[in-house]
Amino acid sequence: MSWEAEIVNGLLDAEIDLVTQLPDGAMGAVLEGLHEADVDTLRVEREESAIAAASGAWVTGERAAVMCQSSGLANAINAIGSLSVPARLPFLALVTRRGDLGEFNIAQVPAGYGLPAMMDEMGVRHTVVSEPGALRKTVRMAADSAFSTRTPYVVFLDATVTGYGQEAQ
Amino acid sequence: MAADQFACTAAVVEETPDAVVVSNLGVASYVLAEVADRDRNFYLWGSMGSTTATGVGVAHGTDEQVTVLTGDGSLTMSLGVCSTVVTADQPNLTVVCFDNGIYGTTGGQPTPSIDFAAAAEAQGLSATSVADDDAFAAAYADAVDHEGPSLIECAVEPTDPEARPTFDFPHIPRRVRDSLNE
Ligand SMILES: Cc1ncc(C[n+]2csc(CCOP(=O)(O)OP(=O)(O)O)c2C)c(N)n1
Ligand SMILES: [Mg+2]
Repeated sequence: MSWEAEIVNGLLDAEIDLVTQLPDGAMGAVLEGLHEADVDTLRVEREESAIAAASGAWVTGERAAVMCQSSGLANAINAIGSLSVPARLPFLALVTRRGDLGEFNIAQVPAGYGLPAMMDEMGVRHTVVSEPGALRKTVRMAADSAFSTRTPYVVFLDATVTGYGQEAQ
Repeated sequence: MAADQFACTAAVVEETPDAVVVSNLGVASYVLAEVADRDRNFYLWGSMGSTTATGVGVAHGTDEQVTVLTGDGSLTMSLGVCSTVVTADQPNLTVVCFDNGIYGTTGGQPTPSIDFAAAAEAQGLSATSVADDDAFAAAYADAVDHEGPSLIECAVEPTDPEARPTFDFPHIPRRVRDSLNE
């Protein structure tokens, strides 16, 4: 199974009702797979809105996931810190993490490389996936834990999984 | 001329008693708490700029009316959210922007002056602008009947409410969720 299919299947296993997202090139096939599987997706104007919309969905009994690039999660720090965490509004986030192995663009480095530590500072659990093998299970288990503990959970996808641009070579 | 935020908030609760009302941090939540501390009041204590998007998420999962009470400062912070309201295209969502011309909650510093109805329309979101209590009540009733989402910009007099919602923030969304699940 491709890593994209692993993610789509993991989200289906987790019975995710809504995926809020701002497009990332690397996640194109995931988005397509979600459309084929009839999972509702919502494109937002800014990733902070993806977190807020996922939070709003929780009060209706839905389980929402957020998909974005690491810079997008950085855009959403205040929503996570002043809504998701203190109001205990859970979401699963799937974040393509730039700024580490293979990164050519220095503008992606400070936030992308630093986000796991930033999540730690805010008390948000996360895992960095660098091998696609168990991705389906990881996505499912991250979602299950987020919604049963009523806290957010972030799955970072490293460039070893998603591939990377070799512009600088 | 400007409307009274208490009267307009009361009109929302009267017109749509079963609505989930998502209220902006600060003054909008304080006024709502003073008007009626309902189970379906989704008061925010933070996340300035994210009030409207929170409402979009609520409207996705319920067929009940969802009404956002945001502020001019908060909407300015994420003005592009009107495009997300259009993308989501939920018939049960109404966004009210109380424009008091200030960052009321932080002491009344002036906000940028924006024609919010025009800014919403420019993004494809149906919008109207009102400046007195009766016009607001009529516009709100129309917005609720309207087939798609819409925005009402309502010029209001600044106010400094006494009431506060519970400080137990996790209790607030839990209470909304329990009420919707009944
Ligand atoms: C991201 C962020 N910036 C600034 C603040 C401080 N702050 C809290 S409420 C508020 C004013 C909000 O203005 P508006 O949306 O117009 O609502 P009003 O207080 O006038 O009702 C500000 C600046 C904050 N809480 N979060
Ligand atoms: Mg204001």
